[in-house]
Amino acid sequence: MTRRPTPLLLAAAVLLSAIYLFPLYWMYVTSLKSGSEVFAYPPTFLPESLDFHIFAEVWQTRDMASFLWNSLVIASGSMAMVAVLGTGCSYVLARYRNIWVDIALFLVLMLQVLPASLMITPIFVGFSALGLLEYPRFAVMIAFTAKAMPFFVILVRATFMSIPGELEEAALVDGNSRIGAFGLIVLPLARNGILVSAILIFMQAFGEFVYSKSMIQDVTLQPASVGLNGFMGPNTVEWNKIMAYATIYVTPILAAFVLLQQRIVSGLTSGALK
Amino acid sequence: MTQQPQIELVSVNKHYGGFHALKDISVTIAKGSFVALVGPSGCGKSTLLRSLAGLESITTGEIRITGETVNETPPRHRDVAMVFQSYALYPHMTVRENMSYSLRLKRVPKTKIDAAVAEAAKILGLEDYLDRKPNALSGGQRQRVAMGRAIIRNPKVFLFDEPLSNLDASLRVHMRKEIRALHERVGATSVYVTHDQIEAMTMADHVVVLKGGSVEQQGTPLSLYDMPATKFVAGFIGSPAMNFVSGEITGDGGSVLLDLPGRPILPLARQATPGRKVEAGLRPEHLSLAPPGVPAIETRASSVESTGSVTYLYCGGDPEIIVLSQEREPLSSGEPVRLTIAPENIHLFDPQTGLSIGQAAG
Repeated sequence: MTRRPTPLLLAAAVLLSAIYLFPLYWMYVTSLKSGSEVFAYPPTFLPESLDFHIFAEVWQTRDMASFLWNSLVIASGSMAMVAVLGTGCSYVLARYRNIWVDIALFLVLMLQVLPASLMITPIFVGFSALGLLEYPRFAVMIAFTAKAMPFFVILVRATFMSIPGELEEAALVDGNSRIGAFGLIVLPLARNGILVSAILIFMQAFGEFVYSKSMIQDVTLQPASVGLNGFMGPNTVEWNKIMAYATIYVTPILAAFVLLQQRIVSGLTSGALK
Repeated sequence: MTQQPQIELVSVNKHYGGFHALKDISVTIAKGSFVALVGPSGCGKSTLLRSLAGLESITTGEIRITGETVNETPPRHRDVAMVFQSYALYPHMTVRENMSYSLRLKRVPKTKIDAAVAEAAKILGLEDYLDRKPNALSGGQRQRVAMGRAIIRNPKVFLFDEPLSNLDASLRVHMRKEIRALHERVGATSVYVTHDQIEAMTMADHVVVLKGGSVEQQGTPLSLYDMPATKFVAGFIGSPAMNFVSGEITGDGGSVLLDLPGRPILPLARQATPGRKVEAGLRPEHLSLAPPGVPAIETRASSVESTGSVTYLYCGGDPEIIVLSQEREPLSSGEPVRLTIAPENIHLFDPQTGLSIGQAAG
């Protein structure tokens, strides 16, 4: 039996991905259309004339440098917090097996179920009482870290579990302390899994909207997702500019994903050891 | 002053929750000796070794290494080296880095490390592989790297946890010899865990047989073979395993009547309590075909296997008796055979306690 896909399956796959990727395509195409072409009926699938000035214009008028900087700050901060806190947590959950670990894992999965829009109200009230809203970007990082943690913990725990305990024991006998064995033996072996999971967290955080929208009132501190939302009023007609904004926002992260996707997929599916 | 023992285990007990894993184990290991801990899986031999290494803590008792109590000492301060069953080579390091890891942790000067690696590599024949990663090595080579990682440290004690069980049979025999040669060359004290009694018998100076968490018997390999203290040890040491036949001491106390068809009576080399129920142990290699007129077990060969050098006879059915003969026996299956054994080679055990009754002489 060959594993080659049949033409029928191949066609189905192409069709499904075309449907799935169509909005992305529409975003790029619309951003390059003129104001009247956007509303033309029937719609054009290729813009009549290519005008790249719109990107510079949107960048300038919408002050995108500030928005993207804030997105970058929030995403980097969240990723760092998740990676530092989550790595230790995953290690413990991977190495110990008792009733408390089972309870902790159950709670971790529970957290994954709760949607951000439900959590935001109690978080807002709590953060307000603590005075955390004085530092809104930091508040968003904390809230997002809590939300993204389960995903990271579950991925990284699997990585740690693929590293045999005997390696650590060998390191202990060879002269490492418990922490030394973790730092010099386990961590280097888990590096790929941790890096890949951290990148996925970064990408999620880069597009985070609900917490930022609710907690950051000051426009100069808002990330690009909130800035995009502010662009769209009830009487919006500048769809080409909005799509240009979205293009500027999404393309870097998309490019990074395409460049890294091979490593991301292999980092998630292969164990640390061969 | 008499020489201080290298390792002393004094009444060591280990509980895992409600499970009593090590039961009052006391073993003394002389400096420079090669000790094998042997027993079936789950007997506690690996737990005992890991307790020695400091990877497990013991519940009560005392572990001393060169006279110093190490119960609370973490592994890195015990000066022991361990070879793991899976070898546990660090996959992200080359062979050279693996072997020198412990020295690098101790911040030994680089020139000394290089010299030590070179010497260990020479002993183990690994010179050409120093810059490879472990996944580019064969099983036997990985095994050698694991040993190199241990000998480079020149520790007080070497611990081996079933190091040969992942190798194929011919390599295992070869490495057995190599480990023993290495032990003699390095001269350090070695503790070797195995479930394979042949490994224990061929490699060790002193064998500790464990069963269910306690020491069943310990001594030199040949003393365990010649004078097993219990039925378990008798059946565990020796291959093929000893045959056990239940029976009864005859009225005059000088013979044993076996519970076999034909009620054979075999003379004993010593007196036993008349009428006592016993379990007679007959080693396959001690049984032989009886000349006419000698008291013998009358049975039938159910199967005959010849390997060229020796012949295995499987006789009777319940219980089956295995005979190992150095001769090429001109027998075929189904033929009647008469088996005999020298009186001094008959082992007797108590059917209830399994303890040896008296000692089989010689």
